[in-house]
Amino acid sequence: MSTQIPVTVLTGYLGAGKTTLLNRVLSENHGKRFAVIVNEFGEIGIDNDLVVGADEEVFEMNNGCICCTVRGDLIRIIGGLLKRKGKFDAILVETTGLADPAPVAQTFFVDEDVKRHTKLDSVLTVVDAKHVLQRLADSPEAADQIAFADVLLLNKIDAVSPEELDAVERKLRAINPFAKIHKTERCRIGLDKVLDQGSFDLQRIVEIKPAFLGGAGHDHHHDHDPHHDHDHGHAHGPAPLEHYHDENMDSVSLSTDTPLDPGKFDAWIGEVLMTKGPSILRAKGILNLAGAEQRYVFQAVHMMSEGGFAGPWPAQDSRHSRLVFIGRELDAEALKQGFLACRMA
Amino acid sequence: MVVDIPLAERKGLSWTLDAYTVGAAATPDGRYFVCALGDGTVRVLDLTDTARGFTAFAVHAGGIQCFAPDVLAGAFLTGGDDGKLISTRLDGSTGIVADLGRVWVEHVAAHPEAGVRVWAAGKDVFVLGRKAGEEPRRMSHDSSVGGLAINPKGKRLAVAHYNAVSLWWLAAKGQPQVLSWKGSHLQVSFSPDGDYVVTAMQENALHGWRLSDGQHFRMTGYGAKIRSLSFARRGQYLATGGADTVICWPFTGGGPMGKAPLEFGDRLNGPVVTAVAAHPKLDAVAAGFENGQVIVGQPGNPQVMPIVSPARDAEPDPVSVLAWTPDGDRLLAGSEAGRVHVVDFRSLS
Repeated sequence: MSTQIPVTVLTGYLGAGKTTLLNRVLSENHGKRFAVIVNEFGEIGIDNDLVVGADEEVFEMNNGCICCTVRGDLIRIIGGLLKRKGKFDAILVETTGLADPAPVAQTFFVDEDVKRHTKLDSVLTVVDAKHVLQRLADSPEAADQIAFADVLLLNKIDAVSPEELDAVERKLRAINPFAKIHKTERCRIGLDKVLDQGSFDLQRIVEIKPAFLGGAGHDHHHDHDPHHDHDHGHAHGPAPLEHYHDENMDSVSLSTDTPLDPGKFDAWIGEVLMTKGPSILRAKGILNLAGAEQRYVFQAVHMMSEGGFAGPWPAQDSRHSRLVFIGRELDAEALKQGFLACRMA
Repeated sequence: MVVDIPLAERKGLSWTLDAYTVGAAATPDGRYFVCALGDGTVRVLDLTDTARGFTAFAVHAGGIQCFAPDVLAGAFLTGGDDGKLISTRLDGSTGIVADLGRVWVEHVAAHPEAGVRVWAAGKDVFVLGRKAGEEPRRMSHDSSVGGLAINPKGKRLAVAHYNAVSLWWLAAKGQPQVLSWKGSHLQVSFSPDGDYVVTAMQENALHGWRLSDGQHFRMTGYGAKIRSLSFARRGQYLATGGADTVICWPFTGGGPMGKAPLEFGDRLNGPVVTAVAAHPKLDAVAAGFENGQVIVGQPGNPQVMPIVSPARDAEPDPVSVLAWTPDGDRLLAGSEAGRVHVVDFRSLS
């Protein structure tokens, strides 16, 4: 529907710079009117009747889906905001530093009123370049927020050396191979680069370019991870499986040039989400289905998924299927075998 | 009687108020309709002078979230995004009942005979009696309030929230009786005899409790969220939205357990009912749909009277509010886009 209001979810650990970005969104003249749902008013410099406080009330849907948690307060607040439709063009939802982004995202897939009137645009995670590695070591939520992101704002880059920054960027890439990364000081970035990204819009998911492996000449990412015993994923062309694993997060990227059997793929991905959904944070794929002219685009948040044809393949692109999973304790080899078994005989 | 042309188009009055219709009610004397809108205004229509149209009064700085007739006849309560609960009279004069600061006042209810007003912001509910200078009593809950209802006698308050309904005595201190059921409870309603409490839930289902013996029941099968509940005047049935027909559950002879509902307005896979209002005197129910259509019908009777045609917009404009005058002669229907229709049923006879 044309008038669905885009929603950006802003996550990030305490002190990463979320409030700086929020204040910019509220104060800068960017031609858009935002309703902002904040976790606490604290440092928000602007008193605006479209800034709303939220309680982060997560509840389980009684729909038999064990991982289907939603944010009840968001359903309530968005319902209330819709009574003032026309007064704002977009919604920004800030979460606490400790929040799991999944219930926020799932709210936009589960509640019919929310779904009818709004659309999740992207999950934006602000990361503090100086402290993120420590946060990853001591708090699992930090990895969740990075893994969930469509856009990562690597902030406070002035506080680290180029080498440190490089290490941080590699770590982020490893955890989340499909997010866009922007490096900033004091969240200084054109807001057009972080808002209105259409990351959940199947029509706008044009490419998935996992940047896992040191494509730019970095060391092999496993080198700093000595306890690790997988053996795959080198930077020479699209290998069928690229996999990153550490104590925080796994990411698995699968690809093939052989067209996929639509029936087999459907059955397989359904089974994967049904059995492994709780440990899969995000999945995205652009797929070359046998017999179809158009790209088939697929995405999932835990067990919730959607897919659809999304226009022709870009001319310069080969018809190449690519599927990325980010989650915990993913069995990369089993995913690869299952995926490759979907190829046309 | 041939009633193909909707009544609003033959005999009705229509306005476009350009803001979400949050609530509406008639005055007890049936002379005025009052609407509360999402733009923070309260609008008043004098039914003896409809040519003047609605008079608008700017009441809240932000939007209005909730609306209810106040305890005094001719006054109306609204809660807003500005944290205020305000009482507005027909002449537009206002009084601030409460100012809670930076929160939304999301639910309000009042009981004229008992002289009690209740409102909710977040997890807190506040109760104010008619004693002058009295401070509101605060009732806190573990989770956000989804709906409020005062029982017909004006003695008890039902607060719907996550995983339960809390049932408070309005006059007595102490803890509430907790009616537990897992899930998010939204609207809540008492049956006219006060024995049943029914909630509409997040999961397209109703949940109900019979207070006399604590039995509870669940009604499912809805295709959409049940945004509206209305008990028939004598409590014979509960009319509900959330399906493409008006679902009416029988509440006579021991309640709805194990019984099939009566329906009307049958349109298989058609638009969903978003608002219902039982007629104050007759065995009839007004129902509004997500496409803007309004009908009046009787449970179990396939023949319905069309009141408002579906809107011909690209985007659906759901009916958000239906209100009868106390004599049941007139009906007001308001939509999310602020289309308001008033029809007079006396013109039929």
